[in-house]
Amino acid sequence: MTPEKMIVANGISKTVSTAQGQLQILQPISFNVSVGESVAIVGASGSGKSTLLSLLAGLDEVTSGEIFLNGQAMHAMNEEQRAQLRGANVGFIFQSFMLVQSLSAIENIMLPAEIAGTANAKQRALDLLKLVGLDHRASHYPNQLSGGEQQRVAIARAFITQPKVLFADEPTGNLDAANSGKIEQLLFELNRDANTTLILVTHDQELAAKCQRQLHMHAGELTETAELSSIKHALNATQKRG
Amino acid sequence: MSSFSLNLAWRLFKHETRRGELTIILLAIVLAVSSVLSLSLFSERLQSALSTKSAEFIAADRVLSARKPVADAWLEQAQTLELDTAQQVRTRSMVFAKQHMLLAELCAAGPGYPLKGQLKVSDQAFSEGLPTSELPGPGEAWVESRLMQSLALNIGDSLDVGDAAFTVTKVLVSVPDAGFSVFAGDPKVLIPLSGLPATNLTGPGSRVSYSYYFVGDTSVLDEYYTWLRPQLDREIHDWNSVDDDDSPLGRSVQRAEQYFLLASLLAIVLAAVSIAVAAQRYSQRHYDPVAIMKTLGATGRQVKQVYVLQILFISTLGILIGGLIGFLLQQAVVWALAGQLDVSMDAWHWRPVFIAIFTGAVCAFLFSLYPLLKLFSVSPLRVLRRDLGANLSSRAIQFIASGGAIFLLMWAYSQNLQISAILFVSGILLVLALLLVTFGLIWLGRRLGQGKMGAWRLAWARIHRRALDNSVQLISFAITIMLLLVVLVMRNDMVKQWQDQLPQGTPNYFLINISQEQMPNLAEHFNQADVSLDKFYPVVRGRFVAINGEKIRTDISKEEESAGDAGRQGLGREANLTWNTQLQIGSKIVAGRWFDENTSASEEQMPFEVSVEERLAQRLGINLDDTLTFNIGSEVVRVKVTSLRDVNWQSMQPNFFFVIEPRAMAQFVPTYMSSFYLPIDDKPKLTELLQPFASVTLFDVDAQINQLRSIVEQVSVAVEFILVLVLIAGSLVLVAQVQASMDERQQELAILRTLGAKGSLIRWSVICEFVIIGMTAGLMAATFNELSLYLLQTEVFSMQATVHGQFFIIAPISGAIVVACLGGISCWRLLRLNTSHLLRQMV
Repeated sequence: MTPEKMIVANGISKTVSTAQGQLQILQPISFNVSVGESVAIVGASGSGKSTLLSLLAGLDEVTSGEIFLNGQAMHAMNEEQRAQLRGANVGFIFQSFMLVQSLSAIENIMLPAEIAGTANAKQRALDLLKLVGLDHRASHYPNQLSGGEQQRVAIARAFITQPKVLFADEPTGNLDAANSGKIEQLLFELNRDANTTLILVTHDQELAAKCQRQLHMHAGELTETAELSSIKHALNATQKRG
Repeated sequence: MSSFSLNLAWRLFKHETRRGELTIILLAIVLAVSSVLSLSLFSERLQSALSTKSAEFIAADRVLSARKPVADAWLEQAQTLELDTAQQVRTRSMVFAKQHMLLAELCAAGPGYPLKGQLKVSDQAFSEGLPTSELPGPGEAWVESRLMQSLALNIGDSLDVGDAAFTVTKVLVSVPDAGFSVFAGDPKVLIPLSGLPATNLTGPGSRVSYSYYFVGDTSVLDEYYTWLRPQLDREIHDWNSVDDDDSPLGRSVQRAEQYFLLASLLAIVLAAVSIAVAAQRYSQRHYDPVAIMKTLGATGRQVKQVYVLQILFISTLGILIGGLIGFLLQQAVVWALAGQLDVSMDAWHWRPVFIAIFTGAVCAFLFSLYPLLKLFSVSPLRVLRRDLGANLSSRAIQFIASGGAIFLLMWAYSQNLQISAILFVSGILLVLALLLVTFGLIWLGRRLGQGKMGAWRLAWARIHRRALDNSVQLISFAITIMLLLVVLVMRNDMVKQWQDQLPQGTPNYFLINISQEQMPNLAEHFNQADVSLDKFYPVVRGRFVAINGEKIRTDISKEEESAGDAGRQGLGREANLTWNTQLQIGSKIVAGRWFDENTSASEEQMPFEVSVEERLAQRLGINLDDTLTFNIGSEVVRVKVTSLRDVNWQSMQPNFFFVIEPRAMAQFVPTYMSSFYLPIDDKPKLTELLQPFASVTLFDVDAQINQLRSIVEQVSVAVEFILVLVLIAGSLVLVAQVQASMDERQQELAILRTLGAKGSLIRWSVICEFVIIGMTAGLMAATFNELSLYLLQTEVFSMQATVHGQFFIIAPISGAIVVACLGGISCWRLLRLNTSHLLRQMV
């Protein structure tokens, strides 16, 4: 049974050790993200938004609190179990693309499917490559692609396992305006088509506004300014039901 | 193993090999394997070729010497084991011809003798002999040139030996097992064994020695010896093998082998260091892919599989290429030497192949262990926080794994704990000392680097900031330079000492039995013929009869001693005694003190002093302060041992077991010995030179010297080849190091460049930095080179240790130049890239 909530965070916090002692970089936070919802985490540099993303995606461990992803208690898992959970449920897009430099475009896209042991990974990768408009660059290596092209490859890679939730960290942060527009469009289209839950970290207000909800981070604390988006969301829901 | 891991590992391997990412690590493995294989295969083949050669020196693989005939059952057992056997009976007797007589060594050889090596005969005295596989027929005798000369014999003349008469049919030029001793005893007369009983020389009371020769597989020989040993009587029997070869040739070859061993150990260490450096760099470059894979859901196990497989692929490829190159290299050397080396080098050995594969695998895995563990520990969080490195901070694993691997390889390869321990301990000392120096230097640099921002200050600032990295780098530069120095200096010293040992003009003829009256005439005669004679040594023949008044056995001849017999209770029936106040060249006092010339001798001050050759003293159990008794003619002379000497028997100079204080010998009339050098073309002059002095005996050691010299030359060539290999290994480490450090510098260069620093400033600052590092490394290397060399030369190579002051200047300068050039070149490559490219690579 698929839970209604893709992410449930109950009082999660993060404390790190520094030379000066313990430093709480994330105050206890609680919120939920529904299945298919798109959520933007916005805030200034150093506000803790990337830390929050790393906890939600299971890349890091929470210091306290509980966190469930697709109904599974991630806070109780070790790194190995979290890796498996990520492999089965999560897709990623990063500001710096994070492609494996010694693998070609097609091989980079196939990577998550191969890790998960999915059959016909190559065919699916080719389909996705076509979808992002790069089928003619399949055998090119990352350093032979432009920034925009690399990010498109990264998007194709993120969708190959048909993840239930997609985490995007400043996906257009390294791109010019024209490329940013294309990438945003592609990201939201694919997200909508696959009904994927999207968690997007950005300091770009325009991009954030395209999400249904916005979570604001400030000095490690979370405030939800969701008036506009929640009204939109509510309206959409009413229209759908109607 | 999942197909994912295999596929991904293979794909990464393919791409990275193609893109040159693995070049250094692959080259390092190739180098380790090829040098180990070529060196050990070559040395194994050389060793077996030379032990075949050595076997010729005892005319068999094993020899049983006995003072009475052995039981038939012993020989039957050997035949049952399918060993080839032969025997020879030797005794000393007067031989007579044309009313002359002379003491000769009678050798009665049975069928098959010699089992290894060949007899050489000729039809004319003092001429070059030709090998023969025959033995004298019944009633025939072959005699040595000296005897022909002394008895004025011609081919076809009759020679009386005991009660039998033999016809001289050949001049005996050489027998394989004559030994290298310059004074190989009395001239030989070779007769068939079947002719011996008729001489009636072997009856009761006669001094006869019996030699039984065996040839066969080592395992069978060992089996036979195991069977035989319980039945042997130490007093009567002596079992000899080629390993006991203590001839000058044997020693030179042994030393060369030790050098091969040392050089290959160093090549392994160098290759291993470059593997470690390259693996470190490889690991750092893969932090991102590992973080990405983990983020995308790869388990730790999958990541490990991917990278362990990669190492497996790299090592397999490295081992294959290295094996091929190693084989070709040694084959090339074998071909090159085939013309010169008078031994067959066709034997194939598997041991070096296994060792090479083992070395490649151990190097690849143990030296990449720490970098790999670091790689595995990379957190997936790195995808968000790019500054996150590996979580593994303890370097203990690295030190234990690398140190352990180096020591293990050294030990396994050399099977010599001492040589491994010396190198290993001096390596560790070097590392510790370098750490101290580095930190001292960095501390000093803080002061030196003050002032205006320029290349110099920038260099110091960088050295200071990257203190730990720099010390690691400095250490590996210093170790590399030190190892290169060790190999280079050892080779120079060794080849030089070999050459010094047998310089051009080394005496190739010895004269003995020169009477006091003949001495001036002989000197004059030689002078007129333009042949220069060496010093005359007085010699008195004496019988060594007692140690501390305790009588010793005197029935074994000195000649047998010099042929390598061990464990004798007594020396020869007669020994050559000399007296001198000066220590001979090449001899060294190892215990006690040399005669004090200033001692005011009074007649009552008995006993006089004697200096004894060290190994003889050991063999006979002679200690300092023992009193030795000699019978010289009818006189009894007692002397006290005041020193033990290490004698260089390889020097081909007159050497003596006993040197007695001159005043002890004042009352005896000596004969004299001398030596001279005669070029081979002047050989015909010999007869003319010696004709007026019929009673003087001539020894021809030309053949022995030539053989020795040619082997030394060939081994020197092999040593050069090894030097080149080690140099390549060292250069590889330097390149790997500089390249790795350039990766780290890239970011800083990009920032400096972005901030508008001139290319020349950056380049000079990098060059200054490398000059400082190279010079310090060179200086430290020169210092520790001396320490290692001292230990190696004195403890392992039994050579005279020398100080090499010039390297304290050469090493820092060349270290600075080489390292700075490599740094400059790599830096120049980076500076050619435009700044935005550099910055992009940093992201």
